[in-house]
Amino acid sequence: MGEAIVITSGKGGVGKTTTTANLGTALALQGKKVCLIDTDIGLRNLDLVLGLDNRIIYDLVDVVEGRCKIHQALVKDKRVDEKLFLLPAAQTTDKNAVTPEQMKSLVDELKREYDYVLIDCPAGIEQGYKNAVAGADRAIVVTTPEISAVRDADRIIGLLEQEEIEPPKLIINRIRRDLMKNGDTLDINEITAHLSIDLLGIIIDSEDVISSSNRGEPIVMDPNNKASLGYRNIARRILGESVPLMALEDHTKGMFKKLISIFSK
Amino acid sequence: MKKQLVHIKGTKEGLVLRLDDQCAYAELVEQLKRKVSEGGIDGKVDVQLHLGKRYLSTAQQDELITIVQGPGNMHVSKVHSDVITIQEKMEIEQASQCETYIGIVRSGQILNAIGDIVVIGDVNPNGKIEAGGSIYVLGNLRGIAHAGLKGDKEAIIVASHFEPTHVLIDDKIEIMSNEKPFVKENAEQIFAYLNKDGHISYERLQEVRNIRPLLSTVKGGS
Repeated sequence: MGEAIVITSGKGGVGKTTTTANLGTALALQGKKVCLIDTDIGLRNLDLVLGLDNRIIYDLVDVVEGRCKIHQALVKDKRVDEKLFLLPAAQTTDKNAVTPEQMKSLVDELKREYDYVLIDCPAGIEQGYKNAVAGADRAIVVTTPEISAVRDADRIIGLLEQEEIEPPKLIINRIRRDLMKNGDTLDINEITAHLSIDLLGIIIDSEDVISSSNRGEPIVMDPNNKASLGYRNIARRILGESVPLMALEDHTKGMFKKLISIFSK
Repeated sequence: MKKQLVHIKGTKEGLVLRLDDQCAYAELVEQLKRKVSEGGIDGKVDVQLHLGKRYLSTAQQDELITIVQGPGNMHVSKVHSDVITIQEKMEIEQASQCETYIGIVRSGQILNAIGDIVVIGDVNPNGKIEAGGSIYVLGNLRGIAHAGLKGDKEAIIVASHFEPTHVLIDDKIEIMSNEKPFVKENAEQIFAYLNKDGHISYERLQEVRNIRPLLSTVKGGS
């Protein structure tokens, strides 16, 4: 029996879809069987980030309304063999086409076959959110170091705490090291103290994330990228390993400076 | 001879009408009407109605009051009964109780209390606490706090870290801004209350016992 994890944020544009795609790929690379569900009905784009858009035949609404079987609608990612699947959202209808009860039975069915079912939640706290949360066992809240994103994360955590699921975990996405160091954005400690939930990991902002998304290739495929490392670490933490939090300092500094920073601790 | 159901007594505060609590209500109304129309009272008098162990609904009370005030020279100042309903008792009890909430009041959440409330945890921005009595936050108060919801002007708002966006006591509202240096500088140890002029004021926590001595339920500390 697998586990269903919903990835949500409240605010839009903080990186839920990118996080879902990358965590899913990272878990699949670790040898787990993963199914991703895009619940953003009417505004689907998880398929694009994974580069699977041209292989969609059936979608979530087709499955729910009985026009096809689940396995017919699942799109296989060929890069990670037989491990990563996507259940795409419908593009022609809206969030009200599915009810939370239907989502729950769908997720329960997928959990029997997959180790992890990652549910990509749409922005907002309306029907789409309720559908996405319905079948989940755990929740991951994605935020960025901006007050607007943190405020919405606070709201969504409040709503998640009323659901019968484990306490949600936090991912702080798109951290700009230079801005955080100068105090121009919220500090990691400030965010975790404010939201007071466990931190699952941090993702350092990288331009490569955008370019790789545009190519339809999750950044975790690139083993040398900082953001990729962040996602891999989070995947390992989801699997139960204890991985230390990534240091914010830039590793490109010279040997001498490194020595100084070691002795000045 | 029929039993007297209405006894009239004179006191310093005016007349007291002691009404029998064993007879039927209709009978009582009948005799009260007769008694009141007898007259013999000069000028205006304040009258208190003592119902004994009889429970009357508000409609019934109003009926008695109109009867007594009918002739025009008597004014009912008070209706006194020895009994109240269980519901009324519960409401009084809840209003005097202190509820405890352990957790965080997050953005968009409203925490309601009939009486006082103690919050063990933070109140985040956009989170709101509404209490009939006082609010005590053992944590950071960064949201909205409304004490004395139903008109309790004695209610206060206390927080370990006092940094709310809005402070409301009774029907007074204050939007916290940077123009309140006292609050900003002393955020750790202050509370909000309504001062004598009816404005929201802030004072160091040590002053609670001088400003609201009645909040204390324990005497001494030997």
